Amino acid sequence: MSSRALRWAVPAVVALLVAVLPLVIADRFLIKVFTFVGLNVIVAVGLGLLFGYAGQVSLGHAAFVGMGAYTSAYLTARLDWPWIVAFALSGAVAGLGGLVLAIPSLRLRGHYLAMATLGFGELMSLVFTEADPITGGVDGFTGIPFPSIMGFELRQPAGLYWLVWGVAAIAILVAANMVNFGPGRAMRSVHGSELGAVASGVDVTGVKVRVFVISATFAGLSGALYASVVGFISPSVFTLQSSVAYLAMAVIGGTASLAGPAVAATLLTLLEYTDALVPGLSRSAAQTIQEYQPDLYGLAIILVVLFAPGGLAALWRRRARGGESG
Amino acid sequence: MTLLAVQGLTKRFGGLTAVDNVSFEVFEGTIKALIGPNGAGKSTVFNLLTGFERPDTGAVRFEDRDVTATRPRNLVGQGMARTFQNTQLFDEMTARENVMVGAQARQRTSFLVASLHLPPARSEQREAAEAASHLLRLVGIERWADTEAADLPAGIRRLLEIARALATGPKLALLDEPAAGLNATETRALAQTLYRIRDMGTTVLIVEHDMGLVMEVSDEILVLDRGCKIAEGPPRLIQKDPAVIAAYLGGEEVAADV
Repeated sequence: MSSRALRWAVPAVVALLVAVLPLVIADRFLIKVFTFVGLNVIVAVGLGLLFGYAGQVSLGHAAFVGMGAYTSAYLTARLDWPWIVAFALSGAVAGLGGLVLAIPSLRLRGHYLAMATLGFGELMSLVFTEADPITGGVDGFTGIPFPSIMGFELRQPAGLYWLVWGVAAIAILVAANMVNFGPGRAMRSVHGSELGAVASGVDVTGVKVRVFVISATFAGLSGALYASVVGFISPSVFTLQSSVAYLAMAVIGGTASLAGPAVAATLLTLLEYTDALVPGLSRSAAQTIQEYQPDLYGLAIILVVLFAPGGLAALWRRRARGGESG
Repeated sequence: MTLLAVQGLTKRFGGLTAVDNVSFEVFEGTIKALIGPNGAGKSTVFNLLTGFERPDTGAVRFEDRDVTATRPRNLVGQGMARTFQNTQLFDEMTARENVMVGAQARQRTSFLVASLHLPPARSEQREAAEAASHLLRLVGIERWADTEAADLPAGIRRLLEIARALATGPKLALLDEPAAGLNATETRALAQTLYRIRDMGTTVLIVEHDMGLVMEVSDEILVLDRGCKIAEGPPRLIQKDPAVIAAYLGGEEVAADV
């Protein structure tokens, strides 16, 4: 098959498999696990734009997920707003957060930007805990209604699964369009050389701000979906540990790729539920994996940075090129 | 007609005056060279003209507009493009993609238009790709079009950066040491490329150490030494100028290749 046909065939087959999964799997818990995969894919693709394309690091993405989750929870559970409106506003609120975080990115690079985003994440984590009247504080926010679209409430795992993956598909499509046209090259040019980008007429500031906002919006939408799928949120969900996990997905996924972060998000999310996925696995083995999960993420990041810079995406690009010439 | 007019340009770094009261003009449709020993202030002049540094005093006029200390991106929009002494390419992008970024300076595809895959995005994509093919041919590196910039030899990287600068559609191209890293054959080809650039209506200002190239292509030469202008004129006069010969350690370098 030609590489051009493959470019369409592979996503089409993957999309089909993802779409029919709830029809094949009877286990409701497994469907839920794959719903969580979808939620993380949305965040990872957004972070892929920011990190893998524009070269900007964020250690605060869990904060955007949290902002989206709390916004949606408050608007639907407390104010009885229609779910779809709350969902859209969740993305907007998180996007606004992205705008705030974009400001330091205009002056800071590398480690310093990482520190600033980490500080932002911790700050928001504090807000989630302390803003009791809105967030419910450390006890969390309960009784978040299921998503309902045009009077139709989605409460079955399969319905929720399709909603989440529908949003994920749109997010991937939107992101893919951006990266395939001028904006994608502009992002990569900022990553490649800011001096060169400026000299080529790229609006470096504009690109950074936009990517931060888009990336944060994706995270916020994922958070809003999470809140309505699970029905309960608390500050312990949106911590530095989650931010590190998201960054791990982006780093392992690789540079200048959307498929890479999506695949990495899938693998890392499934790692959390090994006991449900691997039938023979003992309870203690599964627990050990869960306990060491943050360490595994850290180790994976280190291994990728040391031995496979460019991540999964660079590995299969190299393979593809080797295949063509050989 | 005067395209660029520089008046009393001065830049100090701490106690050092890197550029000292330099005035000159660049005429439309010409190739002008800026030469001088290491540390003469050539690259600083480039940075001042293109907005990457702000002058302490002095004024830059481009097409009769005051563009002193205008931001680099706005200068690109007004028709001034540059290359760097240390090439600033986008290493993980192919040669074609590098040039397409330059071509986008003249386009308007927004994130929104792109994300919805709208017709303007597609037509501008085609235009940028066509412009890139044309310019890669113009500088003679079309066979490297699909190679990532990181994998290109040094000489090809210089030519690629020139193509990227030209893609922005400049009236004035400022090229910082375009021949550095090029072998003799490539340098001869570069001379032809510079003529082609001039002939398509782009005025050229180069900083260059290769005196053979400078003497061959320049309509006019400006000589700097320790931040000051010491001579200006056509190549024949510059070669005989005592101040220039003195600045270049006896002048063998200047006189050698005619």
